[in-house]
Amino acid sequence: MKRIVQIMVLVVGLMVGTATAVAAPQTYKLRVDGLSCPFCAYGIEKKLGALQGVGRIEVDIASGTVAVTMAEGATLDEAAARKAVKDAGFSLRSLEPAPAAPQGTGQAK
Amino acid sequence: MKPALKSVLAVLCLSAANAWSAPITFNTALPVHEGGWVLREQLVFMKAGGDPTPARRDMEATGLVSVLGYGVTPDFALFGMLPWFDKLLDMRMGGQHLTRRKAGVGDLTVLGRYTVYQRDVPGRTLRIAPFLGVKAPTGEDDARDRLGRLPPAVQAGSGSWDVLGGAVLTWQTLEFEIDSQVSYKVNREARSFEAGNVAALDASLQYRLLPRSLGAGVPAFLYGVLEASLVHAARDRVGGADDPNSGGTILFLTPGLQYVTRKWIVEAGVQLPVIQHLHGTALESDYVLTVGFRMNF
Repeated sequence: MKRIVQIMVLVVGLMVGTATAVAAPQTYKLRVDGLSCPFCAYGIEKKLGALQGVGRIEVDIASGTVAVTMAEGATLDEAAARKAVKDAGFSLRSLEPAPAAPQGTGQAK
Repeated sequence: MKPALKSVLAVLCLSAANAWSAPITFNTALPVHEGGWVLREQLVFMKAGGDPTPARRDMEATGLVSVLGYGVTPDFALFGMLPWFDKLLDMRMGGQHLTRRKAGVGDLTVLGRYTVYQRDVPGRTLRIAPFLGVKAPTGEDDARDRLGRLPPAVQAGSGSWDVLGGAVLTWQTLEFEIDSQVSYKVNREARSFEAGNVAALDASLQYRLLPRSLGAGVPAFLYGVLEASLVHAARDRVGGADDPNSGGTILFLTPGLQYVTRKWIVEAGVQLPVIQHLHGTALESDYVLTVGFRMNF
């Protein structure tokens, strides 16, 4: 009985872990040069938000970064992001995938 | 035209592209994002007086100035400005107190601004943008009262097609912003009257007062603003001859406040004339009060 319970816990853990790995939306960290006032941030949000597959945008004006979280399964094209930032009136310094956010405790290993 | 009023009207024309954050009384080189709109509404009240003649003229003008900007490309933006004025001239004539007044839509200014230089680094940007515009005679320029045709300074419009241009430099950081503008407005003749051309040199400092230290996200900024505007108006020409009681030079200092968020800005400032060298009996500016808001969409 104890062995059956251990197997069930392992299976459930693997299922949850696999589902999390597949479903976790990708987040990108964009470094944007020239971004230095709140009123300017709106244009960045609007232009990046219009790109296909973009789910959420968080601008951090102090660090000059924009976190772009994609919809499930979508990726952010660097050329498209660069054009969106330029159309907003600014310059894209770099774009890199952000490390996956911690999924909380109790995740399958 | 009264130099003080002419200076203010010229500043209003030249501030048509001032729809972004930054200076209260003139232009900025900051971007309007491609396909984006910016709307600004400003309520302006000006008072001029100090007439040394027995007429003891006093003039007041209230203007509601609407500006709509559109980002055609990341570098090129178009702006349209349409004012509504209520102008009032008080004077004495033959022992009687007279009031002459006109309210109505003023002249439309359309202006294009192109960014020719842009240097972006983390948290800072430097931009230079020349601009060129035209003022169309959409306001009434032949209004009359029981005394006859109103003087040009009281008319809602000038009746002339005028041209304006200049360049603006903006240096913006997270802590402060500096803008500087040089501009020139060529006024043309209408109904035998030609207002003198106006040249202006402006500078503005906006310093972030709050928040003292930046947190995460996009916090709203409270800027303290100090601006200086040196405005020179040439003499008007009436019937082909210079009007000796027109034109001159005024230096304004403008303290003000701006509250800037992602979507909107509210602001207020008062232009105070600190130096006035005016010709003849031209009226002196007392002050110009400006309150307004801007929003982007």
